[in-house]
Amino acid sequence: MFKYVMRRLFQMIPVFLGVTLMLFVLRIPGLLPGDPIQLIVGERELTPALRAEIEEKNHLNEPLHIQYGYYVGGLLQGDLGESYQKSRPVTEILGDKFPNTFRLAFAAILVEIIVGVLAGIISAVKQYSFWDVLVTLSTSVLVSVPVFWLGMLLQMFFGIKLKEWTGGSVFLPISGMGNPPDFVHLILPAITLASVSTAYVARIMRSQMLEAMGQDYIRTAMAKGLTERAVVFKHALKNALIPVVTYIGIDLGALMGGAILTESVFSWPGVGREIYLAVLQRDWPVVMGGVVVVVVIVMFVNLLVDISYAALDPRIRYGGAAE
Amino acid sequence: MSERIRKGFSFLLALTLVVSMFSITGCAAEEEPTDDGTEEPVSDVTKGGTFNFYISEPAFIDPYNLQESEGTQVGQAVFDSLVAFDPITSELKPAAAESWESNEDATVWTFHLVEGAKFHDGSDVTADDFKYAWERICTPSVASEISYHLGAVKGYDAMQDETATELEGVKVIDDYTLEVTLNYGFADFEFVVGHPALAPVPKEAVESDPAAFSEMPIGNGPFKMAEPWAHDQYIKIVKFDDYYGDEPNIDGVDFKILADQDTAFLEFEAGNLDFTQIPTGRIQETIDKYGESPDGYTVNPGEQVSLGAEQAIYYLLVNTTDPALKDPNVRAALSMAIDRQDICDKVFEGTRTPATGIVPPGIVGYEANAFPYAKYDVEAAKAKLAEAGFPNGEGFPEISLEYNSGSGHEDILQLVQEDLKAIGVNGKLVGSEWAQYLDKLGAADYQVGRLGWIADYPIMDNFLYPLFKTGSSDNYSFYSNPDVDAKLDEARTTVDDDARVALYQEIESIVGNDAVSIPMFYYRHTRVASDRVNDGVYSANGLFTFESCWLSE
Repeated sequence: MFKYVMRRLFQMIPVFLGVTLMLFVLRIPGLLPGDPIQLIVGERELTPALRAEIEEKNHLNEPLHIQYGYYVGGLLQGDLGESYQKSRPVTEILGDKFPNTFRLAFAAILVEIIVGVLAGIISAVKQYSFWDVLVTLSTSVLVSVPVFWLGMLLQMFFGIKLKEWTGGSVFLPISGMGNPPDFVHLILPAITLASVSTAYVARIMRSQMLEAMGQDYIRTAMAKGLTERAVVFKHALKNALIPVVTYIGIDLGALMGGAILTESVFSWPGVGREIYLAVLQRDWPVVMGGVVVVVVIVMFVNLLVDISYAALDPRIRYGGAAE
Repeated sequence: MSERIRKGFSFLLALTLVVSMFSITGCAAEEEPTDDGTEEPVSDVTKGGTFNFYISEPAFIDPYNLQESEGTQVGQAVFDSLVAFDPITSELKPAAAESWESNEDATVWTFHLVEGAKFHDGSDVTADDFKYAWERICTPSVASEISYHLGAVKGYDAMQDETATELEGVKVIDDYTLEVTLNYGFADFEFVVGHPALAPVPKEAVESDPAAFSEMPIGNGPFKMAEPWAHDQYIKIVKFDDYYGDEPNIDGVDFKILADQDTAFLEFEAGNLDFTQIPTGRIQETIDKYGESPDGYTVNPGEQVSLGAEQAIYYLLVNTTDPALKDPNVRAALSMAIDRQDICDKVFEGTRTPATGIVPPGIVGYEANAFPYAKYDVEAAKAKLAEAGFPNGEGFPEISLEYNSGSGHEDILQLVQEDLKAIGVNGKLVGSEWAQYLDKLGAADYQVGRLGWIADYPIMDNFLYPLFKTGSSDNYSFYSNPDVDAKLDEARTTVDDDARVALYQEIESIVGNDAVSIPMFYYRHTRVASDRVNDGVYSANGLFTFESCWLSE
């Protein structure tokens, strides 16, 4: 196991360098429109002296490979540079945003696990029942509804209509995180963000459970006289869960990278929106810093997911004799 | 099956009830802080309450870099500059300076500060604080983007070149007297010092921790920061008890920073915002529901939608050095061929008004129909084109209609293109990225382009000098008229207000007759207030005045 983890960690190095290199190449003047110096200067008058000073400070006067060296060197020391637009260190900007993104991502994953897995199990166990029809129908609707539209619909219903109908006593907040951040502000954004993935989790869970329930070992267990509950949870579920865990793991990585649409609709101060705005403003230090951090997070989450297989399926052993 | 389905529905119903009960408890805290019951009725004005105001994330709230509308909105509530503007007429009124005067040629200005005014940290506001704040803006290492406001002040260039660390032209006569010497006579300088960016800052607080100051500035205005700026979430300000001016009626303002206009409007409909932008597509419906403000700026219950003209113009610039566009008759023809009302209706749902001059309403000295050719008259346009030697556009070359892409300008220029066809002129749409677009304008590598111009101060000079003075960096038309240049200089040194305004009006009429640029439309507000906002004024320069408004229960 230790050997496996170490090997995976070493494999991350070329991925990391590849990503930084790709991002760096995008910044080369002339490839994409917009002069970085002009962006830093803003409305100030750009004198030759000021241009020289900015080039010097940002190493823009060095050859490209040296600039890249400075950049990676800075990264390894936790220095992501300074935002062109906001004149604040990128680490500080992202440091503000990542905790919010994590909060939302974990809440969404919880919704996926609880609602998605339960709905999938119920729908498989009670195949062709009301619940099965409900799950099948609602998952079809959820995967086809655009996320921002669902978000606005929820805002309209829980934020405005419900408030009107109940004379202002019952409603859910529709934007921001609350001050101080609280749980109720999380509900609508988490449901919105989780909607599509919950539907997928429910569908995967349902098909995996149905497949598992048809296996010989389940029939054997039933024949042994075990209760339905024991068969479903002890035998079928554990085997059906592996693809679901893979899906949720990948999704967790993706959610931690921020969710542009949900964050915008609910004014959630997260990292996805920050990177998106930075792209629009060509604020390269924020774009590069944000993407690099997201990539590192996704790599580590994927590693954790792979390790967790071993816990779920005893047949999977890492770093053993099979090599 | 039906039995199971019925059971299922009852379960769902129960679940809904549980969720609803949960949200009641969850939201109890949400409602508390808006009105804290400190009302004591003075005539019919209610005191107290917190104003919930929508903004998007500001770039800066520290005066040294106040430039866009969102940061300026916060800045002007927290800081007072030397003078202030009447929110409707734009006329000057005293603020941190109780009086001021200039010498005869408007080169030396003396400001007498209000004695006893305090910063929010309790320290006194003195002339030194103004000097310090202005020098801070002009110091290159501070990297302010708005130091140009002080470009007229003697010693500005030396500070920019880093050959001086102080503004030679700013002299502290005593604690409450500030003397400013300019490089040239500038009779409108009294308007310049009203910009929120030129407010005083307390040196000690800034220098002890500049980063902290930028997040929670200490000002001298009617409201102070309640806590540091929560980026992308909110900015809270509360009434400053030791304010030297009139005490505000409200207790404070919560600026809610929202990412999206539509979300803001939902928050408004949910009763959580008192002032917001109306999203496109919902303007008429909002007017019908909440009522329109009679003057376009003042909002009261039942008259809640503000649609007043803003101090900004959208115009087409014409490259006067281009052989095809040298003749003023040609430019006049192009201007009269464009149906501005049609564009306002089709593209903007009527949220713009056709422009009839380059200086928008709300600017001191504004005159309607200042540009004789800024009107829609196809026959007159054809006649002008014929006069220029191109009857029915015969022999006239195709011209480029340029714009910065990605911001909706293409829709406007497409309609312009169609209008021009009616007089026989063919236009070709050319879009480029913003920075590249500006490069093309600066290099005179275009024929007709588009730009917007927003007033920094409500004076005609702010439009006429930068756009039409020979050699000005914003004069992308490359217009050069010695008569206009001389008059612009003369107006700047004309101390008599009426005479100065008359001179600017004459200049506007000259450039209008030369059809140097093609005014298209004036921007209008599209904002709505909640029914608890009384006597709220959303000024022509797009800033809400919190001092005078009050909130009903």
